[in-house]
Amino acid sequence: MIQKILAPVVRNEKLAAPGHHVLTFHAPDLARDSRPGHFIAVHAETGQQILRRPFSVYTADPATGNCSILFSVYGPSTSAMAQYVPGDKIDLIGPLGGKVFTADTRPGARHIMVGGGYGVPPLAFLTRQILAADPAATVIFVNGARTRDFLVGTDGLDDIGATLLPATDDGSHGYKGRVTGVLESVVSGQWTVDSEIVRSPAEAPVASSLTTDHSPLTTNPTTIYTCGPTPMMKAVAEMAMAFDVPCQASLEVFMPCGIGICMGCAIPTPDGKYLRGCVEGPVFEAREIVWK
Amino acid sequence: MEVRKSVASGQWSVDSAGVPEGGRSPLSTVHSPLTTKIGSLIMRTPVTVASGTFGFGSETADLVDLSKLGAITVKATTSKPRVGNPPTRIVETASGILNAIGLQNGGVENYIAEKLPFLRRHDCPIIVNVPGETPEDFAYVCRLLTDAGGADAIELNISCPNVSHGLDFATDPVQTAKVVEACRKATHLPLIAKLSPNVTDMRPIARAAEDAGADGLSLINTIIGTSIDARKRTFRLANITGGLSGPAVKPIALLHVYRVAQVSGIPIIGMGGITNATDAIEFLLAGATAVATGTINYTNPLAAIEIADGIAAYLTANGFADVSEIVGAVAS
Repeated sequence: MIQKILAPVVRNEKLAAPGHHVLTFHAPDLARDSRPGHFIAVHAETGQQILRRPFSVYTADPATGNCSILFSVYGPSTSAMAQYVPGDKIDLIGPLGGKVFTADTRPGARHIMVGGGYGVPPLAFLTRQILAADPAATVIFVNGARTRDFLVGTDGLDDIGATLLPATDDGSHGYKGRVTGVLESVVSGQWTVDSEIVRSPAEAPVASSLTTDHSPLTTNPTTIYTCGPTPMMKAVAEMAMAFDVPCQASLEVFMPCGIGICMGCAIPTPDGKYLRGCVEGPVFEAREIVWK
Repeated sequence: MEVRKSVASGQWSVDSAGVPEGGRSPLSTVHSPLTTKIGSLIMRTPVTVASGTFGFGSETADLVDLSKLGAITVKATTSKPRVGNPPTRIVETASGILNAIGLQNGGVENYIAEKLPFLRRHDCPIIVNVPGETPEDFAYVCRLLTDAGGADAIELNISCPNVSHGLDFATDPVQTAKVVEACRKATHLPLIAKLSPNVTDMRPIARAAEDAGADGLSLINTIIGTSIDARKRTFRLANITGGLSGPAVKPIALLHVYRVAQVSGIPIIGMGGITNATDAIEFLLAGATAVATGTINYTNPLAAIEIADGIAAYLTANGFADVSEIVGAVAS
């Protein structure tokens, strides 16, 4: 059930990544009801902005009643939120979202997360949920950022059994290049969990072109889950469609209301209509929408 | 006739206003100091929501008890479905937003089949916002809504700035009158003409609407504007132009309400940047009989209910027995 609440801030942790915070707050109903892909709409007093800002739920712990979001400072609202201290109240509406991530339940399924920057939180939530339900599940987490410093949100996921495959633009950590370079190796089966690392293209070129061979080398059913900047998700979605692998994308669109009343977050569909990102999403199957 | 009691006495009495013919009175007709009438439409409070800022009621069902709204004004409903404008449709500006939704909606038949049953389960009057391309188009939707019992009042959206037809009507008294007259013949329901601020003087248009048979006026619709991204050197809205709303437009809306109230004999629903009870009271003092919350609903879906409570508190604190006592009561 959607609630509008003032949730007490429990802690506001500054991450090593410049400008990034994990804001933890007490909201028992939200902790119980949130699923990976759900988001909250936060109103911070800025004196400048009147609309709420959406943030994906990063953690939700029904046992403690605590939830958290991971955000980076980029405007008045997030600047105000960066100043929150324990005891402050966070004005939020949530959980929001009509369609959230659905874990692939096929036997032996490989779950491939592809996250970029602030898109990582809902995928981290999903990873923890999948591995809590089945500690032996195969979860491969491809996490991209500009540099090592900006790889956020995956802390501790390797300890619970996820395989982390970071990619950085400058090669300061993991694969040098875009997440799609890693994804292509994984989906095609050139890389397996037994491989040591994904090497950079200079050392051992991953499948270089999507036009060559689209047949995955593995027979295990695979689902891709992605969230991050739209150009990244578009590339991931196109690769998934080329390999004929299901792909769920949580869209990063401006959501003025978050509850389905403003019609502002219009997502174009192949039949020439528009869906509302907030309530018909935010998670869409890659083929459901037009990628621009 | 109505029997009114003071706030102080705590006694509210029955309002015997009749059920509109062919329609129904959704409201348990207990009169309170906040009871407000627009033609035969009886509202429990003087606060409704602006069309397009509250969906069709079901979206906020978890958060909002619809029976506490004066009325729900639902999203624009056209004769045929409309897909709306391409994104980007909304951008935030200083103390406001610009929108160019383009009247995305499923059409009047979809409204009656899919949206109305939910609304009718709640004790809340329904105002349906109706845009149209011709007077006949407006009248057609009015007739369908009336026959289906789909509305308790109709707001004629002759002033939407985001579609090619619509804005034109409310910039011209003759065109305004043609739409209202056509709809007057099509329905007995209260007709509320929603007027455009994108004119030199709204007063002749308001008079034209009244003379043609309107029972009330909604003002103001959004103010046309645009926004440019200097970094990308592009317009921020795909439609280029949009309608400005939010606190930025309040002083403009307030003046239009004040001026139109001087020349109009029918009730005004004032709207434009109302975010709290004080804003709403300012509109009532300027001459509005009722008010609507718009952009604030996105941030606080409970705003219309909280504002009604705030108006009641203001009446009590200042010794007024009935909200009608402050309508137009600004000293000049």
